[in-house]
Amino acid sequence: MALEIDGIVLRSERIKSLYFLLEIYCPPIAATIKPGQFIMLKVSDRYDPLLRRPFSVYKSYSGGHREKNKRGHLLILYKKVGKGTQKMTEFRRGQKVNMIGPLGNGFSLPPLPSPTNVILLGGGVGIVSLSPLADALGATQLFVFIGGKTRDDILCEEDFRKLNSTIFIATEDGSLGFKGTVIDLFLSQKRRFKCNPSHYMYSCGPIEMLKELARTVEFKGFICQASLETRMGCGFGACWGCVVKTIDPGTPYQRVCKEGPVFNLGHIVWE
Amino acid sequence: MVKPIRNPDLSVRIGNIKLKNPVIVASGTFGFGEEYEDFFNLNRLGGIIPKGISLKPMVGNPPPRIFETEGGILNSIGLQNPGYQDFVKDKLPYFKNIKTHLIINFFGNTQKEYTELARCFDGVPGISGLEMNISCPNVERGGMAFGSEPKIVYRLVRAVRKSTKLTLIVKLSPNVTDISSIAKSAEEGGADAVSLINTFKAMAINIHSKKAELGNVIGGLSGPAIKPIALRMVWEVSQAVKIPVIGMGGIMKAEDAIEFILVGASAIQIGTANLINPRTGIEVIQGIKRYLIQNRIQRMQKLIGLFRN
Repeated sequence: MALEIDGIVLRSERIKSLYFLLEIYCPPIAATIKPGQFIMLKVSDRYDPLLRRPFSVYKSYSGGHREKNKRGHLLILYKKVGKGTQKMTEFRRGQKVNMIGPLGNGFSLPPLPSPTNVILLGGGVGIVSLSPLADALGATQLFVFIGGKTRDDILCEEDFRKLNSTIFIATEDGSLGFKGTVIDLFLSQKRRFKCNPSHYMYSCGPIEMLKELARTVEFKGFICQASLETRMGCGFGACWGCVVKTIDPGTPYQRVCKEGPVFNLGHIVWE
Repeated sequence: MVKPIRNPDLSVRIGNIKLKNPVIVASGTFGFGEEYEDFFNLNRLGGIIPKGISLKPMVGNPPPRIFETEGGILNSIGLQNPGYQDFVKDKLPYFKNIKTHLIINFFGNTQKEYTELARCFDGVPGISGLEMNISCPNVERGGMAFGSEPKIVYRLVRAVRKSTKLTLIVKLSPNVTDISSIAKSAEEGGADAVSLINTFKAMAINIHSKKAELGNVIGGLSGPAIKPIALRMVWEVSQAVKIPVIGMGGIMKAEDAIEFILVGASAIQIGTANLINPRTGIEVIQGIKRYLIQNRIQRMQKLIGLFRN
Protein backbone atom coordinates (compact mmCIF):
# COMPACT_ATOMS: atom_id res chain seq x y z
CA MET A 1 0.00 0.00 0.00
CA ALA A 2 1.30 3.45 -0.95
CA LEU A 3 1.41 6.17 1.69
CA GLU A 4 1.44 9.92 1.29
CA ILE A 5 3.55 10.95 4.22
CA ASP A 6 6.08 13.45 5.57
CA GLY A 7 9.63 12.35 6.34
CA ILE A 8 12.36 14.32 8.05
CA VAL A 9 15.64 15.15 6.34
CA LEU A 10 18.56 13.76 8.36
CA ARG A 11 21.35 14.38 5.88
CA SER A 12 21.71 16.10 2.56
CA GLU A 13 25.18 16.22 1.08
CA ARG A 14 27.23 16.03 -2.07
CA ILE A 15 29.14 12.77 -2.59
CA LYS A 16 31.03 13.76 -5.69
CA SER A 17 30.60 15.97 -8.78
CA LEU A 18 26.84 16.07 -9.49
CA TYR A 19 25.87 13.22 -7.16
CA PHE A 20 24.12 13.84 -3.85
CA LEU A 21 22.92 11.73 -0.96
CA LEU A 22 19.67 12.40 0.85
CA GLU A 23 18.89 10.57 4.07
CA ILE A 24 15.32 10.75 5.30
CA TYR A 25 13.66 9.44 8.45
CA CYS A 26 10.43 7.76 7.39
CA PRO A 27 9.82 4.44 9.17
CA PRO A 28 6.56 3.43 7.41
CA ILE A 29 8.12 3.57 3.94
CA ALA A 30 11.53 2.28 5.07
CA ALA A 31 9.80 -0.76 6.52
CA THR A 32 7.99 -1.83 3.36
CA ILE A 33 9.91 -0.62 0.29
CA LYS A 34 11.49 -3.35 -1.85
CA PRO A 35 14.46 -3.15 -4.23
CA GLY A 36 13.42 -1.50 -7.49
CA GLN A 37 10.41 0.27 -6.02
CA PHE A 38 10.44 4.05 -5.88
CA ILE A 39 9.02 7.07 -4.11
CA MET A 40 7.61 10.34 -5.46
CA LEU A 41 9.21 13.24 -3.66
CA LYS A 42 7.70 16.70 -3.40
CA VAL A 43 10.60 19.04 -3.97
CA SER A 44 8.79 22.37 -3.58
CA ASP A 45 5.75 23.79 -1.83
CA ARG A 46 5.32 26.23 -4.70
CA TYR A 47 4.18 25.55 -8.25
CA ASP A 48 7.59 25.40 -9.86
CA PRO A 49 8.64 22.65 -10.12
CA LEU A 50 5.04 21.51 -10.08
CA LEU A 51 5.29 17.74 -10.26
CA ARG A 52 6.85 15.38 -7.76
CA ARG A 53 10.07 13.65 -8.75
CA PRO A 54 10.54 9.86 -8.82
CA PHE A 55 13.52 8.28 -7.02
CA SER A 56 14.44 4.68 -6.52
CA VAL A 57 15.70 3.96 -3.06
CA TYR A 58 19.40 3.35 -2.52
CA LYS A 59 19.17 1.93 1.00
CA SER A 60 16.33 1.41 3.43
CA TYR A 61 16.45 0.22 7.01
CA SER A 62 13.36 -1.40 8.48
CA GLY A 63 12.41 -1.23 12.16
CA GLY A 64 14.12 -4.55 12.86
CA HIS A 65 17.39 -3.72 11.14
CA ARG A 66 20.54 -4.78 12.99
CA GLU A 67 21.99 -1.26 12.77
CA LYS A 68 19.78 0.27 15.43
CA ASN A 69 20.73 3.87 14.72
CA LYS A 70 19.71 3.46 11.06
CA ARG A 71 16.22 2.07 11.69
CA GLY A 72 13.53 3.89 9.73
CA HIS A 73 16.03 5.58 7.45
CA LEU A 74 15.73 5.88 3.66
CA LEU A 75 18.67 6.85 1.48
CA ILE A 76 18.34 8.39 -1.94
CA LEU A 77 21.38 8.82 -4.16
CA TYR A 78 20.59 11.21 -6.98
CA LYS A 79 22.21 13.20 -9.73
CA LYS A 80 21.57 16.92 -9.99
CA VAL A 81 20.16 17.28 -13.50
CA GLY A 82 17.45 19.95 -13.45
CA LYS A 83 15.48 22.37 -11.33
CA GLY A 84 13.83 19.61 -9.28
CA THR A 85 17.08 18.03 -8.15
CA GLN A 86 18.62 21.50 -7.79
CA LYS A 87 15.91 22.26 -5.20
CA MET A 88 16.71 19.01 -3.43
CA THR A 89 20.32 19.99 -2.94
CA GLU A 90 18.97 22.88 -0.86
CA PHE A 91 17.21 20.53 1.59
CA ARG A 92 18.41 21.06 5.14
CA ARG A 93 18.66 18.71 8.10
CA GLY A 94 15.45 18.71 10.15
CA GLN A 95 13.11 19.91 7.43
CA LYS A 96 10.02 17.97 6.44
CA VAL A 97 9.76 16.43 3.03
CA ASN A 98 6.57 14.92 1.62
CA MET A 99 6.69 11.58 -0.19
CA ILE A 100 4.42 9.01 -1.76
CA GLY A 101 5.57 5.41 -1.67
CA PRO A 102 6.42 2.63 -1.98
CA LEU A 103 5.44 2.69 -5.66
CA GLY A 104 5.86 0.36 -8.62
CA ASN A 105 6.46 -3.38 -8.83
CA GLY A 106 10.15 -3.63 -7.91
CA PHE A 107 12.53 -6.41 -8.94
CA SER A 108 11.47 -10.04 -8.63
CA LEU A 109 14.07 -12.25 -7.03
CA PRO A 110 15.12 -15.21 -9.21
CA PRO A 111 13.05 -18.37 -8.85
CA LEU A 112 14.38 -21.06 -6.57
CA PRO A 113 16.67 -22.91 -6.76
CA SER A 114 18.69 -19.73 -7.12
CA PRO A 115 20.69 -19.32 -10.32
CA THR A 116 24.37 -19.88 -9.81
CA ASN A 117 25.28 -16.50 -11.24
CA VAL A 118 23.52 -13.19 -11.32
CA ILE A 119 24.62 -10.34 -13.58
CA LEU A 120 23.90 -6.76 -12.58
CA LEU A 121 24.44 -4.08 -15.19
CA GLY A 122 23.94 -0.41 -14.45
CA GLY A 123 24.68 2.83 -16.25
CA GLY A 124 25.21 6.12 -14.44
CA VAL A 125 22.86 6.70 -11.56
CA GLY A 126 20.92 3.58 -12.63
CA ILE A 127 23.32 1.39 -10.65
CA VAL A 128 21.84 2.84 -7.45
CA SER A 129 18.64 0.78 -7.68
CA LEU A 130 20.71 -2.40 -8.18
CA SER A 131 22.56 -1.93 -4.89
CA PRO A 132 19.65 -2.89 -2.57
CA LEU A 133 18.84 -5.73 -4.98
CA ALA A 134 22.40 -7.07 -4.57
CA ASP A 135 21.91 -7.01 -0.79
CA ALA A 136 18.64 -8.93 -1.16
CA LEU A 137 20.26 -11.56 -3.38
CA GLY A 138 22.36 -12.65 -0.41
CA ALA A 139 25.17 -15.05 -1.05
CA THR A 140 24.66 -15.47 -4.79
CA GLN A 141 27.76 -14.98 -6.94
CA LEU A 142 27.34 -11.56 -8.55
CA PHE A 143 28.91 -10.17 -11.69
CA VAL A 144 28.49 -6.42 -11.52
CA PHE A 145 28.97 -4.16 -14.53
CA ILE A 146 29.13 -0.46 -13.70
CA GLY A 147 29.31 2.14 -16.43
CA GLY A 148 29.53 5.91 -16.67
CA LYS A 149 30.85 8.71 -18.81
CA THR A 150 33.83 9.44 -16.52
CA ARG A 151 35.21 8.09 -13.24
CA ASP A 152 32.98 10.59 -11.43
CA ASP A 153 29.94 8.74 -12.75
CA ILE A 154 30.95 5.39 -11.26
CA LEU A 155 28.79 4.85 -8.20
CA CYS A 156 28.25 2.23 -5.50
CA GLU A 157 31.42 0.28 -6.24
CA GLU A 158 32.23 -0.09 -2.51
CA ASP A 159 28.73 -1.46 -1.78
CA PHE A 160 29.22 -4.30 -4.24
CA ARG A 161 32.78 -4.98 -3.03
CA LYS A 162 31.35 -6.00 0.34
CA LEU A 163 29.37 -8.77 -1.34
CA ASN A 164 30.33 -11.95 -3.12
CA SER A 165 30.94 -10.13 -6.38
CA THR A 166 33.20 -9.66 -9.36
CA ILE A 167 33.16 -6.05 -10.49
CA PHE A 168 33.70 -4.68 -13.99
CA ILE A 169 33.97 -0.97 -14.59
CA ALA A 170 33.67 0.93 -17.85
CA THR A 171 34.04 4.64 -18.51
CA GLU A 172 33.48 6.23 -21.89
CA ASP A 173 36.56 8.44 -21.51
CA GLY A 174 38.70 5.65 -20.10
CA SER A 175 39.38 7.52 -16.85
CA LEU A 176 38.61 4.36 -14.89
CA GLY A 177 38.57 0.71 -15.93
CA PHE A 178 37.61 -0.37 -19.43
CA LYS A 179 37.41 2.41 -22.04
CA GLY A 180 34.02 2.28 -23.71
CA THR A 181 30.40 1.76 -22.78
CA VAL A 182 29.28 -0.71 -20.16
CA ILE A 183 27.58 -2.66 -22.95
CA ASP A 184 30.90 -2.94 -24.84
CA LEU A 185 32.48 -4.21 -21.65
CA PHE A 186 29.71 -6.71 -21.06
CA LEU A 187 30.01 -8.03 -24.63
CA SER A 188 33.76 -8.45 -24.20
CA GLN A 189 33.08 -10.64 -21.17
CA LYS A 190 30.07 -12.45 -22.55
CA ARG A 191 31.79 -15.73 -23.17
CA ARG A 192 32.21 -16.03 -19.40
CA PHE A 193 28.48 -16.36 -19.17
CA LYS A 194 27.72 -18.99 -21.78
CA CYS A 195 24.08 -18.20 -22.20
CA ASN A 196 22.33 -20.69 -20.04
CA PRO A 197 19.34 -20.58 -17.75
CA SER A 198 21.48 -20.51 -14.64
CA HIS A 199 22.27 -16.90 -15.48
CA TYR A 200 19.93 -14.20 -14.38
CA MET A 201 20.34 -10.57 -15.27
CA TYR A 202 19.16 -7.24 -13.89
CA SER A 203 19.74 -3.86 -15.41
CA CYS A 204 18.98 -0.20 -14.84
CA GLY A 205 20.15 2.84 -16.71
CA PRO A 206 19.33 5.33 -19.43
CA ILE A 207 16.83 4.22 -22.11
CA GLU A 208 19.58 4.34 -24.76
CA MET A 209 21.68 1.90 -22.74
CA LEU A 210 18.80 -0.52 -22.24
CA LYS A 211 17.93 -0.29 -25.91
CA GLU A 212 21.52 -1.18 -26.78
CA LEU A 213 21.47 -4.02 -24.28
CA ALA A 214 18.26 -5.40 -25.73
CA ARG A 215 19.66 -5.17 -29.25
CA THR A 216 23.10 -6.65 -28.69
CA VAL A 217 22.41 -9.35 -26.16
CA GLU A 218 20.69 -12.41 -27.45
CA PHE A 219 18.48 -13.49 -24.66
CA LYS A 220 18.79 -17.18 -25.29
CA GLY A 221 18.67 -18.52 -21.80
CA PHE A 222 18.90 -15.05 -20.28
CA ILE A 223 16.11 -13.41 -18.44
CA CYS A 224 16.80 -9.73 -17.95
CA GLN A 225 14.71 -7.57 -15.67
CA ALA A 226 15.23 -3.93 -16.50
CA SER A 227 14.17 -0.94 -14.45
CA LEU A 228 13.07 1.93 -16.68
CA GLU A 229 13.28 5.66 -16.20
CA THR A 230 10.72 7.91 -17.89
CA ARG A 231 9.13 11.27 -17.18
CA MET A 232 6.35 10.75 -14.70
CA GLY A 233 3.23 12.68 -13.84
CA CYS A 234 1.73 11.15 -10.71
CA GLY A 235 3.77 7.99 -10.10
CA PHE A 236 0.77 5.97 -8.92
CA GLY A 237 -0.99 5.02 -12.12
CA ALA A 238 -3.57 7.76 -12.57
CA CYS A 239 -2.33 9.91 -15.45
CA TRP A 240 -0.89 7.44 -17.99
CA GLY A 241 1.88 9.94 -18.78
CA CYS A 242 4.88 7.65 -18.20
CA VAL A 243 4.07 4.81 -20.58
CA VAL A 244 6.48 2.61 -22.51
CA LYS A 245 5.61 0.49 -25.55
CA THR A 246 5.48 -3.26 -24.92
CA ILE A 247 4.70 -6.38 -26.92
CA ASP A 248 1.32 -6.70 -25.17
CA PRO A 249 -1.18 -6.74 -28.04
CA GLY A 250 -4.11 -5.47 -25.97
CA THR A 251 -2.47 -2.62 -24.06
CA PRO A 252 0.80 -1.85 -25.87
CA TYR A 253 1.47 1.30 -23.85
CA GLN A 254 1.99 0.31 -20.22
CA ARG A 255 2.68 2.52 -17.24
CA VAL A 256 6.27 2.59 -16.02
CA CYS A 257 4.97 3.67 -12.60
CA LYS A 258 2.44 0.87 -12.17
CA GLU A 259 3.13 -2.14 -14.41
CA GLY A 260 6.83 -1.17 -14.01
CA PRO A 261 9.29 0.31 -13.42
CA VAL A 262 10.75 -3.19 -13.78
CA PHE A 263 9.93 -4.95 -17.04
CA ASN A 264 11.25 -8.03 -18.72
CA LEU A 265 13.65 -6.41 -21.19
CA GLY A 266 12.39 -8.70 -23.95
CA HIS A 267 8.87 -7.29 -23.55
CA ILE A 268 9.81 -3.72 -24.43
CA VAL A 269 9.34 -2.44 -27.96
CA TRP A 270 12.08 0.07 -28.79
CA GLU A 271 11.24 2.89 -31.15
CA MET B 1 -25.45 37.35 19.99
CA VAL B 2 -25.27 36.04 16.42
CA LYS B 3 -25.67 32.30 16.16
CA PRO B 4 -22.48 30.67 14.85
CA ILE B 5 -22.65 28.32 11.87
CA ARG B 6 -21.41 24.81 12.61
CA ASN B 7 -22.27 22.60 9.72
CA PRO B 8 -22.89 24.52 6.54
CA ASP B 9 -24.83 22.71 3.83
CA LEU B 10 -22.34 22.02 1.05
CA SER B 11 -24.78 20.29 -1.29
CA VAL B 12 -25.43 21.50 -4.80
CA ARG B 13 -27.61 20.28 -7.64
CA ILE B 14 -26.43 19.56 -11.18
CA GLY B 15 -29.32 18.34 -13.34
CA ASN B 16 -30.81 15.39 -11.48
CA ILE B 17 -27.69 14.86 -9.40
CA LYS B 18 -27.55 16.14 -5.86
CA LEU B 19 -23.89 16.38 -4.94
CA LYS B 20 -23.12 16.27 -1.20
CA ASN B 21 -20.40 18.83 -1.85
CA PRO B 22 -19.29 20.75 -4.94
CA VAL B 23 -15.96 18.95 -5.39
CA ILE B 24 -15.64 16.56 -8.31
CA VAL B 25 -12.41 14.96 -9.51
CA ALA B 26 -11.75 15.55 -13.20
CA SER B 27 -11.56 13.01 -15.97
CA GLY B 28 -8.07 11.93 -16.98
CA THR B 29 -6.52 12.88 -13.66
CA PHE B 30 -8.17 10.31 -11.42
CA GLY B 31 -7.56 7.09 -13.34
CA PHE B 32 -10.41 4.68 -12.63
CA GLY B 33 -10.71 5.66 -8.99
CA GLU B 34 -8.89 2.72 -7.46
CA GLU B 35 -5.49 4.40 -8.00
CA TYR B 36 -6.49 6.78 -5.17
CA GLU B 37 -7.93 4.36 -2.63
CA ASP B 38 -4.67 4.21 -0.64
CA PHE B 39 -4.81 7.94 0.01
CA PHE B 40 -8.34 8.71 1.25
CA ASN B 41 -11.93 7.52 1.43
CA LEU B 42 -13.34 8.21 -2.03
CA ASN B 43 -16.87 8.41 -0.61
CA ARG B 44 -16.06 11.86 0.71
CA LEU B 45 -15.89 13.40 -2.77
CA GLY B 46 -18.90 15.11 -4.33
CA GLY B 47 -18.37 13.13 -7.50
CA ILE B 48 -15.85 11.12 -9.49
CA ILE B 49 -15.28 11.33 -13.23
CA PRO B 50 -13.00 8.49 -14.40
CA LYS B 51 -10.84 8.54 -17.50
CA GLY B 52 -12.77 9.24 -20.72
CA ILE B 53 -14.34 6.28 -22.48
CA SER B 54 -14.82 5.65 -26.20
CA LEU B 55 -16.86 2.97 -27.95
CA LYS B 56 -13.74 1.03 -28.96
CA PRO B 57 -10.47 0.72 -27.02
CA MET B 58 -7.81 3.35 -27.78
CA VAL B 59 -4.07 2.67 -27.42
CA GLY B 60 -3.17 6.34 -26.92
CA ASN B 61 -0.30 8.46 -28.19
CA PRO B 62 3.38 7.52 -28.43
CA PRO B 63 5.57 8.76 -25.56
CA PRO B 64 6.80 11.14 -24.32
CA ARG B 65 3.30 12.01 -23.21
CA ILE B 66 4.00 14.47 -20.46
CA PHE B 67 6.22 17.51 -19.99
CA GLU B 68 6.39 19.93 -17.11
CA THR B 69 6.33 23.64 -17.91
CA GLU B 70 6.53 26.56 -15.48
CA GLY B 71 3.44 26.19 -13.28
CA GLY B 72 1.86 23.75 -15.68
CA ILE B 73 1.85 20.35 -17.33
CA LEU B 74 1.69 19.57 -21.02
CA ASN B 75 0.14 16.22 -21.81
CA SER B 76 -0.75 14.22 -24.87
CA ILE B 77 -2.03 10.94 -23.46
CA GLY B 78 -4.21 10.49 -26.51
CA LEU B 79 -7.34 9.38 -24.64
CA GLN B 80 -5.97 5.89 -24.03
CA ASN B 81 -8.82 3.80 -22.61
CA PRO B 82 -10.10 0.22 -22.62
CA GLY B 83 -13.30 1.03 -24.56
CA TYR B 84 -16.91 0.74 -23.45
CA GLN B 85 -17.13 -3.04 -23.07
CA ASP B 86 -13.98 -3.60 -21.03
CA PHE B 87 -14.73 -0.51 -18.96
CA VAL B 88 -18.10 -1.92 -17.93
CA LYS B 89 -16.61 -5.38 -17.37
CA ASP B 90 -13.31 -4.50 -15.62
CA LYS B 91 -13.48 -0.95 -14.23
CA LEU B 92 -17.10 -0.24 -13.36
CA PRO B 93 -17.50 -3.00 -10.71
CA TYR B 94 -15.00 -1.17 -8.49
CA PHE B 95 -17.47 1.70 -8.12
CA LYS B 96 -20.24 -0.57 -6.78
CA ASN B 97 -18.94 -0.02 -3.25
CA ILE B 98 -18.23 3.68 -3.65
CA LYS B 99 -20.98 5.86 -2.30
CA THR B 100 -20.52 8.99 -4.33
CA HIS B 101 -21.77 10.06 -7.72
CA LEU B 102 -20.10 8.44 -10.68
CA ILE B 103 -20.14 10.62 -13.78
CA ILE B 104 -18.88 9.05 -17.00
CA ASN B 105 -16.78 11.12 -19.36
CA PHE B 106 -17.16 9.90 -22.93
CA PHE B 107 -16.31 10.92 -26.48
CA GLY B 108 -16.53 9.78 -30.09
CA ASN B 109 -15.14 10.40 -33.52
CA THR B 110 -18.56 10.72 -35.13
CA GLN B 111 -21.98 11.89 -33.94
CA LYS B 112 -23.19 8.30 -34.18
CA GLU B 113 -20.47 7.11 -31.80
CA TYR B 114 -21.51 9.75 -29.27
CA THR B 115 -25.20 8.81 -29.42
CA GLU B 116 -24.47 5.08 -29.34
CA LEU B 117 -22.28 5.44 -26.24
CA ALA B 118 -24.84 7.66 -24.52
CA ARG B 119 -27.50 5.03 -25.17
CA CYS B 120 -25.22 2.23 -23.89
CA PHE B 121 -24.49 4.03 -20.61
CA ASP B 122 -28.14 4.92 -20.13
CA GLY B 123 -29.00 1.41 -19.03
CA VAL B 124 -25.95 0.77 -16.85
CA PRO B 125 -26.68 0.81 -13.11
CA GLY B 126 -24.46 2.89 -10.81
CA ILE B 127 -23.98 5.80 -13.19
CA SER B 128 -25.36 9.20 -12.12
CA GLY B 129 -24.56 11.25 -15.17
CA LEU B 130 -22.54 11.75 -18.33
CA GLU B 131 -19.96 14.32 -19.23
CA MET B 132 -19.38 14.56 -22.96
CA ASN B 133 -15.95 15.64 -24.15
CA ILE B 134 -16.43 17.69 -27.30
CA SER B 135 -12.77 18.67 -27.68
CA CYS B 136 -11.90 15.71 -29.88
CA PRO B 137 -11.57 15.76 -33.65
CA ASN B 138 -14.61 15.16 -35.82
CA VAL B 139 -13.40 12.67 -38.42
CA GLU B 140 -16.37 13.44 -40.65
CA ARG B 141 -15.40 17.10 -40.79
CA GLY B 142 -11.68 16.89 -41.55
CA GLY B 143 -10.65 16.47 -37.94
CA MET B 144 -11.89 19.85 -36.73
CA ALA B 145 -12.88 19.63 -33.08
CA PHE B 146 -16.61 19.12 -32.48
CA GLY B 147 -16.54 21.75 -29.82
CA SER B 148 -15.32 24.63 -31.93
CA GLU B 149 -18.48 25.52 -33.85
CA PRO B 150 -21.78 26.49 -32.16
CA LYS B 151 -24.03 24.86 -34.77
CA ILE B 152 -22.23 21.54 -34.60
CA VAL B 153 -22.26 21.61 -30.81
CA TYR B 154 -26.01 22.26 -30.84
CA ARG B 155 -26.68 19.35 -33.21
CA LEU B 156 -24.38 16.96 -31.36
CA VAL B 157 -25.75 17.79 -27.91
CA ARG B 158 -29.35 17.55 -29.13
CA ALA B 159 -28.68 14.11 -30.62
CA VAL B 160 -27.02 12.88 -27.42
CA ARG B 161 -29.81 14.42 -25.33
CA LYS B 162 -32.33 12.27 -27.19
CA SER B 163 -30.23 9.16 -26.50
CA THR B 164 -30.07 9.35 -22.72
CA LYS B 165 -32.11 10.28 -19.69
CA LEU B 166 -29.01 10.65 -17.53
CA THR B 167 -27.89 14.08 -16.40
CA LEU B 168 -25.86 15.43 -19.31
CA ILE B 169 -22.86 17.70 -18.79
CA VAL B 170 -21.02 19.12 -21.80
CA LYS B 171 -17.30 19.71 -21.25
CA LEU B 172 -16.12 22.73 -23.20
CA SER B 173 -12.82 23.37 -24.91
CA PRO B 174 -11.12 26.72 -24.33
CA ASN B 175 -9.60 26.53 -27.82
CA VAL B 176 -12.47 28.46 -29.40
CA THR B 177 -13.17 32.05 -30.42
CA ASP B 178 -16.12 32.59 -28.12
CA ILE B 179 -16.70 30.03 -25.40
CA SER B 180 -19.97 31.67 -24.28
CA SER B 181 -21.64 31.05 -27.64
CA ILE B 182 -20.53 27.39 -27.50
CA ALA B 183 -21.98 27.12 -24.00
CA LYS B 184 -25.28 28.60 -25.17
CA SER B 185 -25.43 26.10 -28.03
CA ALA B 186 -24.94 23.27 -25.55
CA GLU B 187 -27.72 24.70 -23.38
CA GLU B 188 -30.07 25.00 -26.35
CA GLY B 189 -29.19 21.46 -27.36
CA GLY B 190 -30.49 20.24 -24.02
CA ALA B 191 -27.42 20.00 -21.77
CA ASP B 192 -28.16 19.96 -18.03
CA ALA B 193 -24.85 21.67 -17.28
CA VAL B 194 -21.57 22.72 -18.86
CA SER B 195 -18.13 22.03 -17.42
CA LEU B 196 -15.14 24.10 -18.38
CA ILE B 197 -12.35 24.30 -19.22
CA ASN B 198 -10.54 21.44 -20.90
CA THR B 199 -6.82 21.97 -21.56
CA PHE B 200 -5.28 24.62 -23.80
CA LYS B 201 -3.57 23.36 -26.95
CA ALA B 202 0.12 23.98 -26.38
CA MET B 203 3.64 22.75 -27.13
CA ALA B 204 7.28 22.87 -26.04
CA ILE B 205 10.55 22.43 -27.93
CA ASN B 206 13.82 21.03 -26.67
CA ILE B 207 16.40 23.44 -28.07
CA HIS B 208 19.24 20.91 -27.78
CA SER B 209 17.63 18.12 -29.79
CA LYS B 210 15.48 20.63 -31.72
CA LYS B 211 12.58 18.23 -31.27
CA ALA B 212 9.19 18.57 -29.62
CA GLU B 213 9.05 17.59 -25.95
CA LEU B 214 5.89 15.55 -26.64
CA GLY B 215 5.74 12.56 -28.97
CA ASN B 216 2.52 14.00 -30.40
CA VAL B 217 4.14 17.49 -30.71
CA ILE B 218 0.96 19.27 -29.56
CA GLY B 219 -0.61 18.57 -26.19
CA GLY B 220 -2.89 20.18 -23.66
CA LEU B 221 -1.71 22.61 -20.99
CA SER B 222 -3.16 22.33 -17.49
CA GLY B 223 -2.21 23.36 -13.97
CA PRO B 224 -2.01 26.62 -12.02
CA ALA B 225 -0.59 28.47 -15.05
CA ILE B 226 -4.02 28.40 -16.75
CA LYS B 227 -6.18 29.31 -13.75
CA PRO B 228 -6.71 33.02 -14.44
CA ILE B 229 -7.87 32.32 -18.01
CA ALA B 230 -10.11 29.49 -16.84
CA LEU B 231 -11.65 31.75 -14.22
CA ARG B 232 -12.38 34.45 -16.78
CA MET B 233 -14.06 31.90 -19.07
CA VAL B 234 -16.16 30.45 -16.25
CA TRP B 235 -17.30 33.96 -15.32
CA GLU B 236 -18.27 34.77 -18.91
CA VAL B 237 -20.10 31.47 -19.41
CA SER B 238 -21.92 31.81 -16.07
CA GLN B 239 -23.40 35.08 -17.27
CA ALA B 240 -24.34 33.62 -20.65
CA VAL B 241 -26.26 30.47 -19.62
CA LYS B 242 -28.96 29.56 -17.11
CA ILE B 243 -27.87 25.94 -16.58
CA PRO B 244 -25.28 25.16 -13.87
CA VAL B 245 -21.64 25.71 -14.70
CA ILE B 246 -18.92 23.41 -13.38
CA GLY B 247 -15.62 25.27 -13.17
CA MET B 248 -12.14 23.87 -13.53
CA GLY B 249 -8.66 24.83 -14.67
CA GLY B 250 -5.65 24.92 -12.39
CA ILE B 251 -7.48 24.57 -9.07
CA MET B 252 -4.80 23.63 -6.55
CA LYS B 253 -6.43 24.64 -3.24
CA ALA B 254 -9.71 25.72 -1.64
CA GLU B 255 -9.10 29.42 -2.31
CA ASP B 256 -8.90 28.71 -6.05
CA ALA B 257 -12.13 26.71 -5.91
CA ILE B 258 -13.91 29.53 -4.04
CA GLU B 259 -12.89 32.01 -6.75
CA PHE B 260 -14.59 29.81 -9.35
CA ILE B 261 -17.71 29.49 -7.19
CA LEU B 262 -17.84 33.24 -6.61
CA VAL B 263 -17.85 33.93 -10.36
CA GLY B 264 -20.72 31.52 -10.87
CA ALA B 265 -19.60 27.88 -10.77
CA SER B 266 -22.10 25.61 -9.01
CA ALA B 267 -19.44 22.93 -8.63
CA ILE B 268 -15.78 22.62 -9.42
CA GLN B 269 -13.42 19.93 -10.67
CA ILE B 270 -9.94 19.14 -9.46
CA GLY B 271 -7.61 17.97 -12.22
CA THR B 272 -3.84 18.32 -12.32
CA ALA B 273 -3.62 18.88 -8.56
CA ASN B 274 -4.73 15.26 -7.97
CA LEU B 275 -1.49 14.08 -9.56
CA ILE B 276 0.66 16.09 -7.17
CA ASN B 277 -1.35 15.92 -3.97
CA PRO B 278 -3.79 13.01 -4.24
CA ARG B 279 -5.78 14.40 -1.27
CA THR B 280 -6.44 17.79 -2.89
CA GLY B 281 -10.16 17.07 -3.30
CA ILE B 282 -10.60 16.42 0.43
CA GLU B 283 -8.57 19.50 1.38
CA VAL B 284 -10.67 21.67 -0.95
CA ILE B 285 -13.91 20.37 0.61
CA GLN B 286 -12.59 21.19 4.09
CA GLY B 287 -11.41 24.62 2.92
CA ILE B 288 -14.75 25.53 1.40
CA LYS B 289 -16.49 24.46 4.60
CA ARG B 290 -14.16 26.63 6.69
CA TYR B 291 -14.73 29.58 4.39
CA LEU B 292 -18.50 29.25 4.71
CA ILE B 293 -18.25 29.12 8.49
CA GLN B 294 -15.94 32.12 8.64
CA ASN B 295 -18.19 34.10 6.34
CA ARG B 296 -21.34 32.98 8.14
CA ILE B 297 -22.90 31.47 5.04
CA GLN B 298 -25.24 28.58 5.89
CA ARG B 299 -25.55 27.09 2.43
CA MET B 300 -22.95 26.62 -0.28
CA GLN B 301 -25.70 27.48 -2.82
CA LYS B 302 -25.63 31.06 -1.56
CA LEU B 303 -21.97 31.44 -2.42
CA ILE B 304 -22.50 30.71 -6.10
CA GLY B 305 -22.07 33.85 -8.22
CA LEU B 306 -21.68 36.25 -5.28
CA PHE B 307 -19.12 38.15 -7.30
CA ARG B 308 -20.74 41.13 -8.99
CA ASN B 309 -18.85 43.58 -11.12
